[in-house]
Amino acid sequence: MPEGRRLRWRPWLRALHRDLGYTAVGLTVIYALSGLAVNHIEDWDPNFDNYEAVHQLGGPIAGDDAAVARRVLDALAIDEAPADVFRVDTDEVQVLLGDATLHVRTDSGEVREEGQRPRFLLRVANWLHLNRGKKAWTTIADAYAIGLLTLAVSGVFMLPGRRGILGRGALFVLAGAAIPVLYVTLSGGP
Amino acid sequence: MATDKSPRTPEIERLLRRRDFIRKATTGTVLAGLAGGLYVLDDVLTGEAKAESRADGRPRVPPGQRVLRQLKPMGGTPGSPNPSDFSLTIHGEVERPLTLDFAGLLRSDNVELAVDVHCVTGWSVLGARFKGVRVRDLAERVGVKDSARHVIFEGAHGYTANVRLDEALAPDVLVAHRLDGRALARPHGAPVRAVVPSLYFWKSPKWLTGIKFVRRDEPGYWETRGYNNHADPWLEERYA
Repeated sequence: MPEGRRLRWRPWLRALHRDLGYTAVGLTVIYALSGLAVNHIEDWDPNFDNYEAVHQLGGPIAGDDAAVARRVLDALAIDEAPADVFRVDTDEVQVLLGDATLHVRTDSGEVREEGQRPRFLLRVANWLHLNRGKKAWTTIADAYAIGLLTLAVSGVFMLPGRRGILGRGALFVLAGAAIPVLYVTLSGGP
Repeated sequence: MATDKSPRTPEIERLLRRRDFIRKATTGTVLAGLAGGLYVLDDVLTGEAKAESRADGRPRVPPGQRVLRQLKPMGGTPGSPNPSDFSLTIHGEVERPLTLDFAGLLRSDNVELAVDVHCVTGWSVLGARFKGVRVRDLAERVGVKDSARHVIFEGAHGYTANVRLDEALAPDVLVAHRLDGRALARPHGAPVRAVVPSLYFWKSPKWLTGIKFVRRDEPGYWETRGYNNHADPWLEERYA
């Protein structure tokens, strides 16, 4: 077979690899960022910035639950209608806001504010990565995974090496494949 | 054309660069040392705890665990933190299914227990004081049928965790709403979570919504994703 005919498929493969690569950029950024964030979940909360603050309102707070909530919100200059106000104990009222809970000690006037701020981008990236939404995202994630497999395989055959796929490329492919194999072997596996 | 605008000689420049490098390297070393020192201090905590034993003879710290001072937030899709939204349904193989609201939970027999909890990711917290109602007491109220063999703890958004009946009815298994004297914080499942201290902590769902007694085992959220069905920390039953 003439050499030109033999090599004609490579330009198509390169074009496929290139365009698939462009398409995968956005999803790869999402999955990689989220992967880094979730991989270290034992060190930090990858979804929320959790904070706590203690406020002193200077003495007991009298009145029913609604009056307590109003007094606390006014004192802390919070302009938000509470989602819930609940007396959990004789001297403790919880005022629930969108992203925070105010734990009010009515006997002392101490207010402990405990809240969560969603992390910019990561909250959404993790939600997508862990497929919490399900529905159509399952199909998109499956398509992305197949796309990555295609990228990996097409990458191996994209450029003709001097010794075909048995040269330098084969060494790197084997080295990459050896990483998980060695890890599982040395760590004892699951 | 090269002009010498600086009064500094090349030798002085070299010394300044060297001094700057030494200063930065020293700062970096000190910071790394401090961080390392903190890590070692925490390891002292682990070392001391590892010398202790539990009443059942097992070491207090399961293998592969590092002791921390407080719980870490481990994610999950949050449910509503509002006590008024809370509703716990106890159902399945029971004589008298029961639904409890938050006030009902507070009115039940509450206990405060200091328990050790162990996360599958490798951290443990010792002596965490949880307050709540024993699952065993709730089981008595609903009258668990003899056919029940397993308990499914149900959390918000479909999260579930399966526990053997005898382990779910252990005296230290709680439906908890307070931790260390404070109302449960949002990252830890406010207003109510399960606490099953003898198993890895994913078996203790946050934002608890239900307790279902079942005849046949129903592997839960993580159990169907490669995690161990039983999850005994002392046997390091982390993965399937």
